Amino acid sequence: MLKHLVRWRLGSQLLKGSATPVRYASESTSGGNLLTGIEETPKKIVNPFSQPSPALSNVAISETKEDREKRLKVLQLEADIAHQEGRRVPALDFFQDHHWEHVLSLPTKSARIKYFGYLWQIEMRKESEQRKKAQRAEDTERRKEEMRKEREENTHIIYGLGHTSMFLRIYDTTMNHFQNNRLTRAMQFAPKIVLDCSYDEHMNNREASYAAKQLMLCFAENRLNDEPFDLHYCNAQMESTCMKGLQRYIPTMLNPEFPMNLHSKCFTELFPKENLVYLTPHCREDLVTYNPDDIYVVGAMVDTMNNEPLSLAKAKRLGLRMAKLPLDRYLQWGSGSGKSLTLNQMINIMLDLKKTGNWETALKHVPRRKVIENEFQQRREKSHWGTGTKARKLNIRIDHLLDFEEDRRQATSFATPQKVRQRREGMEFQLDTWATGKQKKKQRQN
Amino acid sequence: MYNLRLLRKVLPGGCHSHQRCMASQHKRRPQPGGLPPDRLEQLRSDLFERHQDLSGAEWTEVRQSLVDSYKHINGHNVDAVILGVCSGPHQLSLAKNYVEFLRSQGSAPNAATLGRLLRVYNAAYHERPLNSTEQAEILEICRTLQAEHETLDANSCEHVIHGLVATNDDWQSALPLLEMMKVTSAPTVAAYSALAEKSFNVESPEQELAWRLLEEMAAARKPPKCEVYLALLNRLASESDKLPAQLKRLMQFLERHEILVSQRVAERLQELAQQVPQLLEVSSTSLGPLGKCQACQKHLQPVAITDEQFRQLSECFLERVLIRRDVFQRSTPEEVARFKKYVEKTAPYDCVIDGLNVAYSTGTKKSPQQLAKLVATVVRHFRDQDKRVLVLGREHMRNWSKQAMHYVQSNASLFLTNNLSHDDPFLLYASMRSGQDTDFFSRDLMRSHAFHLGPELKPIFRRWQQQHQFSLVTQTQTGRIIVKEPVRHRLSAHEVAGTWHVPYCEAYTQHPTESFEVPANWLCLKLKKQTPAKVKTKT
Repeated sequence: MLKHLVRWRLGSQLLKGSATPVRYASESTSGGNLLTGIEETPKKIVNPFSQPSPALSNVAISETKEDREKRLKVLQLEADIAHQEGRRVPALDFFQDHHWEHVLSLPTKSARIKYFGYLWQIEMRKESEQRKKAQRAEDTERRKEEMRKEREENTHIIYGLGHTSMFLRIYDTTMNHFQNNRLTRAMQFAPKIVLDCSYDEHMNNREASYAAKQLMLCFAENRLNDEPFDLHYCNAQMESTCMKGLQRYIPTMLNPEFPMNLHSKCFTELFPKENLVYLTPHCREDLVTYNPDDIYVVGAMVDTMNNEPLSLAKAKRLGLRMAKLPLDRYLQWGSGSGKSLTLNQMINIMLDLKKTGNWETALKHVPRRKVIENEFQQRREKSHWGTGTKARKLNIRIDHLLDFEEDRRQATSFATPQKVRQRREGMEFQLDTWATGKQKKKQRQN
Repeated sequence: MYNLRLLRKVLPGGCHSHQRCMASQHKRRPQPGGLPPDRLEQLRSDLFERHQDLSGAEWTEVRQSLVDSYKHINGHNVDAVILGVCSGPHQLSLAKNYVEFLRSQGSAPNAATLGRLLRVYNAAYHERPLNSTEQAEILEICRTLQAEHETLDANSCEHVIHGLVATNDDWQSALPLLEMMKVTSAPTVAAYSALAEKSFNVESPEQELAWRLLEEMAAARKPPKCEVYLALLNRLASESDKLPAQLKRLMQFLERHEILVSQRVAERLQELAQQVPQLLEVSSTSLGPLGKCQACQKHLQPVAITDEQFRQLSECFLERVLIRRDVFQRSTPEEVARFKKYVEKTAPYDCVIDGLNVAYSTGTKKSPQQLAKLVATVVRHFRDQDKRVLVLGREHMRNWSKQAMHYVQSNASLFLTNNLSHDDPFLLYASMRSGQDTDFFSRDLMRSHAFHLGPELKPIFRRWQQQHQFSLVTQTQTGRIIVKEPVRHRLSAHEVAGTWHVPYCEAYTQHPTESFEVPANWLCLKLKKQTPAKVKTKT
């Protein structure tokens, strides 16, 4: 049984690509290049088989192909036996070709065990979803039956969503067109931000896929904003894992009419050096004010495993100005998960900084779990008269007024759109104590 | 083999228990096919109360109950789980009975089940020697496993090795299996140790194979298990003519790879000495000040490295540690050049001080005046001994108290790097450049630098570091500083004028951490010359 499976998989394995299981080897393109796979030079720098003459590389590649076959068989046996022992390994028919490609590229047994554990989780999740789906299908059937019965009994028009209603449906594509229009205007007039995608060889596969997702979120959240930036993705190599992941998220990325700037050149060739400022957490100078003439560069990397100061090294080598966000000055950092920010959080911070010029509002995009919540307390104590007993009794809220000091139009005492992240303390309206002088013996909320 | 390990903890006595307590133990999630401990207890007491065999119906019932009660135990893995439960040395008959039952049902036991059965055989072998039928069965199973697949995976190879080691004659065929393991992963400590132990027990006089395996293990940074050493010592107890040569070989092995044996081995060595007092004398000892053995009153060997090794170290150092792949990550090319020029000009020194490390050693929240004062105090300490010092720091130290920095500048050489650069590699480079006599002053353990030097240079670096590193312990109320001098004697097994001094640790660990402390327990071992006369007098 196992042997048949193995032979079937090997057929497709043989025709596919890369010669050596190098750690950062890119996934070979499937489909079109089945027959030319052998001649195709692998694109990663580290591959030793790409430089020499074709004759030598042919011999070398065919030899490692046999070894590769052998290793693949043994690894499949390993997975099978581990599954029989009841470890965290999915059944053998769950594995697909790209799974085996990745397994072959892992260096040690413990790395394989972790990867198998990850695949096992996916398998378990899929099974439980199938069970739940079956359950839900039953429930839906029942509900439909009821609705059908109700509709037959009722001779009038039925009002509501899905029946007759006055609301027009707004499709996703309409929203997308509206936002793309805003983006094209931004490309003409707005300040620029560069996302430097040259860090692929420093990330492993998982980090590269996380980076791809964050790049997609950058684009999306930039587009959503009222005044977007002109985003440029520089040093973007299309064959890298990160960019391929991004293409999976945004399939129309390479279309000429899509408002996304992708460059394979470096940003120093596109923009003059005096205007560039590299944002890196490893330098000493804080970014104090936002300058719209400067072009800020953010390194698009996920560096959970790597602690080397790569962005610092790059900025030093290119001789650019450097800055870091003034996180220590405005936030009290808690013990949770370190000072790293994701790319979309960075873009949000820069967008708010551009709009308001105020670091406090901009840094609201740092996740609250990383920050100690005392800042709310600090503000309370500072502006005591606005939050004291009298105000509470009269049910007037003025905390929000202190936020929008420059933008008076947005601030009213009445209906303010509540931000999701604001805590609502003391908002309960007590009719019997409203505007009375009596002091109820309640605990002061501290 | 999580089941087995858990089992050995649960089973009261009866089998050799060496717990492997790894630091990552809290991170290891329980295997889904493994049973929770209370259920294990219950199952074990159910099954093992009757030491004889269960009937077919009872086995079916046990299987069914396991499959029903646990989400992750299904028809595929219940066999291996059951065999994992019956894995103690006394449960061999039970395990065999289960496999019989499976065969009688018509379904052949899968590879995992057979592998675990081999483990049970091995456990039984450690209790009592196996008879010939059992050995034949083992061979049969091994043959079945190897026939199915041309190359076995690492786990199965380990099982088969353990099975073959339990037989008398066929253990040699376990050797190619070790090679087979290398295809997919580095062979485990257990596999190496099982083979080495068997060959120490059984092999012909020279025991080359065993020593070769030990060398391989040590080269792969895997310390051999206690059983291997115990097997060697037991063998030597019976064949005492080989004793001096083999024991010396063992000591040299420990010295070369800087391995610490466990307390069990140390105790066995002492017992061995009592058995053959005319050849060997062992006493447990501790070290006095300046590395003097309390038992034989000899001083231990100094830890100095040879000139050749020192030259090699100093040449490769800057390249490997500071420049590495990208010099901009730690410094800039101009700064490296400037530092080299400065060192050429002002070398040689007696001591190189890591200014920032010293300044912050009493606490990070001190004011700049206190920090600067601490640096100045350390400089004065060396000045009073008339020594030339170099102090390394960063540019922002210029803004510290002018008076203290002025003192430092006038009494020592001062080099300040960029605020963004790492200053440790500069410190080490300056010490090495000045020659073998220069010490350095820092509390840093230099672990990352040792790692980046690579596995050949790392032990040399560590010995050099041990010999030359001063560190600040604390500053007293009166302003005097207490300095920890470097330990100038060796901390691994070595020979001093015919007497071996061997340190040992409490228990065996698979990943021994780097220790910067002097080992507390030592053995003082003397190999006596064999007297040619046949009459042996007791002393």
